[in-house]
Amino acid sequence: MLLFRSEETVDRWCEARGPLINLKQLWQLALHWYANRLTVESRRPAADEMVSIFGSIGLTGPFWDPKSDQWK
Amino acid sequence: MSRELETKVKLTIYGLTAETGRVPNSLEVARKIDIDESDVLDAFARLHAKRLLVPEPGDSSRIRMAPPFSGVATVFPVEANGKRYYANCVWDAYGIAAALHADAIVPASDGHTGEPLTLEVKNDQPVLHPYVAHFAVPAPHWWGDIVFT
Repeated sequence: MLLFRSEETVDRWCEARGPLINLKQLWQLALHWYANRLTVESRRPAADEMVSIFGSIGLTGPFWDPKSDQWK
Repeated sequence: MSRELETKVKLTIYGLTAETGRVPNSLEVARKIDIDESDVLDAFARLHAKRLLVPEPGDSSRIRMAPPFSGVATVFPVEANGKRYYANCVWDAYGIAAALHADAIVPASDGHTGEPLTLEVKNDQPVLHPYVAHFAVPAPHWWGDIVFT
């Protein structure tokens, strides 16, 4: 059970529901981000690379685009 | 600071974490590779700018996150290689198994009911269940407050 300041904040909380992904997709994200994290070459993917990685496992749209301005 | 030194600090952070299960602080990194702690702190700042590290708020000598590893205990412990690590989120829990290239068990729980849900990685593959991971924060905002994300 969670506590909220008002009904309005409950509505906002409910609207915040984002996408769901399955374990297979989650594992693919983990591999793309971290499989070489302990190596010299490790780095965080750039924004365009992220869009490509997300797209390759079926995650598309502005939610998955680091450069999207939909939430500004 | 040379890029070479920055890379050395990065590899030392991750190497010590993998070896011990605990994310090191700046002094421990400095001692390990025998350089001044001030140089390590400069490297921490550069790695933070590259989003490879998040310093502890208010104490730049400590690391809150060296993704996928957490510098503090979380609700996503990861058991691998006979050690216990802590992940920053469920994505990072799998990320620790991926980074270590090791089998792993994650004694997690349902985000609402608290029901125990165990994740497992065996032979470089996840043991699949009908579980789902929920993303509340859109990608453009992930690093606005990465600790919350």
